[in-house]
Amino acid sequence: MSSSLTARGLTDRSTTSEFEAKTTSNNAEGNGDNGITNAAMVTTAQPNGLGPGSTTAKLKSPPPEQQSHIVRRSLIAASFWLLVLCLGIPIWWKTTTIYRANLPLNQMMNWADGKSCSPVFPIRIVIEAPSLTEQEAQSLISITQNALDAMHDFPGHRLRLEAASQTSLGGIIAPHDHENNALIIRLTPGDIATFEPASSPHAHLPIFEITYPPNSKPTPEAKSSQLATYIAAQLRSTFAEEQAILSYFLATSTISSDQQPQGSHNRIDESLSKRMTRSMKYSGTYHLTFSLFTSGSNPSSWDIDSAINQYLRPVLDMLKPIHNFTIDTQVQLYAVPGVQSQVLTKEDLSSFINAAEWPLSPSIGGAPTINFVVYMGNQTIDLYSGEETSQSWLVPQWGSVYLLSPPAATHVPSEFLKQPVLTFASHLLSLLGTPQSGSLPMRLSTLTRVRSVDMLLRASSSLGSLARLSLALPSISIPPSVADGVAKSIHHLELACSNLGSTKSLEHARIAETEAERAFFEKSMVGQLYFPDEHKVAVYLPLLGPVGVPLFTSLVTEFKAWKTRKL
Amino acid sequence: MKLSRILQLPVLLASTLLAPVHHVAAEHTSNWAVLVGTSRFWFNYRHLANVLSMYRTVKRLGIPDSQIILMLPDDMACNPRNAFPGTVYSNSDRAVDLYGDNIEVDYRGYEVTVENFIRLLTDRVGDEMPRSKRLLTDDRSNILVYMTGHGGNEFLKFQDAEEIGAFDLADAFEQMWEKRRYHEILFMIDTCQANTMYSKLYSPNIIATGSSELDQSSYSHHADNDVGVAVIDRYTYYNLEFLESEVRDLSSKKTVGDLFDSYTFEKIHSHAGVRYDLFPGGADVARNRLLTDFFGNIQNIEVDGAKNSTVDDEMLALSRTIARLRVLADQEALESKNATTSANTETRPKKKIQLTKSLTDDNWWSKKVVGATTLAGCVALWTLGSYLEGSRK
Repeated sequence: MSSSLTARGLTDRSTTSEFEAKTTSNNAEGNGDNGITNAAMVTTAQPNGLGPGSTTAKLKSPPPEQQSHIVRRSLIAASFWLLVLCLGIPIWWKTTTIYRANLPLNQMMNWADGKSCSPVFPIRIVIEAPSLTEQEAQSLISITQNALDAMHDFPGHRLRLEAASQTSLGGIIAPHDHENNALIIRLTPGDIATFEPASSPHAHLPIFEITYPPNSKPTPEAKSSQLATYIAAQLRSTFAEEQAILSYFLATSTISSDQQPQGSHNRIDESLSKRMTRSMKYSGTYHLTFSLFTSGSNPSSWDIDSAINQYLRPVLDMLKPIHNFTIDTQVQLYAVPGVQSQVLTKEDLSSFINAAEWPLSPSIGGAPTINFVVYMGNQTIDLYSGEETSQSWLVPQWGSVYLLSPPAATHVPSEFLKQPVLTFASHLLSLLGTPQSGSLPMRLSTLTRVRSVDMLLRASSSLGSLARLSLALPSISIPPSVADGVAKSIHHLELACSNLGSTKSLEHARIAETEAERAFFEKSMVGQLYFPDEHKVAVYLPLLGPVGVPLFTSLVTEFKAWKTRKL
Repeated sequence: MKLSRILQLPVLLASTLLAPVHHVAAEHTSNWAVLVGTSRFWFNYRHLANVLSMYRTVKRLGIPDSQIILMLPDDMACNPRNAFPGTVYSNSDRAVDLYGDNIEVDYRGYEVTVENFIRLLTDRVGDEMPRSKRLLTDDRSNILVYMTGHGGNEFLKFQDAEEIGAFDLADAFEQMWEKRRYHEILFMIDTCQANTMYSKLYSPNIIATGSSELDQSSYSHHADNDVGVAVIDRYTYYNLEFLESEVRDLSSKKTVGDLFDSYTFEKIHSHAGVRYDLFPGGADVARNRLLTDFFGNIQNIEVDGAKNSTVDDEMLALSRTIARLRVLADQEALESKNATTSANTETRPKKKIQLTKSLTDDNWWSKKVVGATTLAGCVALWTLGSYLEGSRK
């Protein structure tokens, strides 16, 4: 039986037993009143001495009642009622109500519907043009901005151009000075030979270097310029993938379509949604498992440690602000793959992992695992599509597999593992949902932005789920910790929303998401106990029957007596 | 520009190579199975055999142990009445030992409770719960939920003490849907009056099937005279027979509809029920779902092209530089912060005596007061008692 119902039963039983004790004592005293019904006995119980005396007067009509007896009897009946109404019912009510903390339901639903935060990303782009005068730079910026606004294919994404501040002009810029800037465009005049502008991304900073022919310098009066159009086109192509990813997130989120920015629907293409499906759910920490499976007894050891340090560690370090990683490795001998055939087709590859026998889920820690498997065997891949393929394949949301033909030695040196580990690194990037175009620093900063939006939307949808759930299941209890988590989550969501586009936004969105998840998955909120009404009747009837019948009959008799006296 | 071109290559490759193969956008990426037996004791041998044979089937079709939640309320293999210790068979020919040597029971014995089952579905578990005992599904997961045991009208008995109602189950599924914890669910139940159990479900994307109608019993298939009890139920037996003979591996194209059509009254001795109306598109769409979508683990792998997209040395060097730059920047930030903070706070080594600290600090004083009052009350009572006793003498 339920805990809450038992509690309800217990309280009632305690009050009942109290009543019963009194009833029996009254019975003992009024033992001789044969003509009176059992219920009436309770109310008409006489004080000591009177009861035994009336046993002899069976056939006689009872003597007229004294006024004091009548008063006393009604007082007794009233006191029982008083007890039930003032003590019994409040205790029953108090002990059986389900605690439901107040949740800001409207606010939560607004977040879920995307009304609280319009997902518009002001992306700041700084133009550094040391060779231009301020006026020239301003006019260039306004023309380019106009050109960008004219394109306006995705209004959720606003590219905002700014001129670089004078202090940073010319000097080398430390990356943290530009945390809020998505991109820096550095304009340098080319020599006479350059006829049209050319651009190249900077190697390790989000900087775009554009050299332009000196004659295309914009004049303050000009309405358009070759350079401005060029910059606008470059920017557009640079941010195209990010826009596509963002609109994908918006389309798949719970936000209703009328809240979304216009025109974000038609841009989701097949390959993008495939890429998004492939990537893992965001987590602050991932666990990477590197496994060596060999078909025989050879090789039995590998130099994975140095291979990881050499070929994977730089990538992991690079991703550090976004994700943490823990790593473990294993070697399994005599591993039988799920498919035995020599030439592997695509269908074979999908069941190549012998999930039933290979120990691939270490359950270490609480982080989701990404598996990287090196299989030493003689099998080859042939897709029969004419395309030449490499020896590796990616399993969406799971990890990747690399086939290697076994070396003669029992030990695998790290050079031998170079290609597999590098493949794993690229697979890791795509499993983490890193965009695939643009320079590496641009891809990273895009990943940060995209993930913060992802977190923001997920936290919002969790809040919405919780709000709908608390409305749908009125019998579920909501402990204060849930309200707490919701408040924190909303607070961080607001912060994330106001900082949207900066690196802080990811941090806040991450906290908001964790809090929202924790609130939703609160351990004590188990909606386990559905009780149909007949169950409740069945539980309450045995308790309320014995208590209620004497109470009500006493009330009725008292009322009747009062009426007859009045007449 | 060269680098970016290289990086764009996989996009092009992926779109040309793989786009025509995967035309269904809303596909699932992982398969989970929740297999629940709910009855204890030797005479319910068949229920555990039901569950274990389902377990073998989904494992055969590639769902890894980490994605199978197996709930066994009793240990038939080690039951003292088992004539074949250490084994469980679902057929009197005893060809296949279901217990085998590679079995991972997630919830066993008295851990199999209604509460744990609901907690599993809704993932409302404490931090102490290991990942292997949790249903870590997302909106791309297909789940097979199989339950067997003794049941009645709109309930299924768990162990010998409690029962799960059809409403509880429906609410649990609704909570899963609300939190986007599944893509599609195939719900199978083999118990008496099984069809009543799924009648209250109201969440979308669920195909439900049960062994028997209201007021119908679900019968066992046959008994093994040496084991001494019935070893499998009819409904499960014919499900397995279909799966063993028609779905031999993951390439099978048999659909859910094919399986449901194989149910006949002659075989099962009760009217197996099917519910399609929760599925968007209704019966037609639901019936066309492949059985391997639920019983198998399909992985839509992506094979790398020959000129593949590996991170090359250039990129490694690049990422090293980025990481180094970031470390430098962090150091700088830290130094500048230290410079400002160290100026106004003199570093004075403070001697602190570590006091013992209670684990929970809340209401420390009120607890002390309550304790003191209780002690004082006891002392007062004792004094009063001894005083009264003394006065009586």
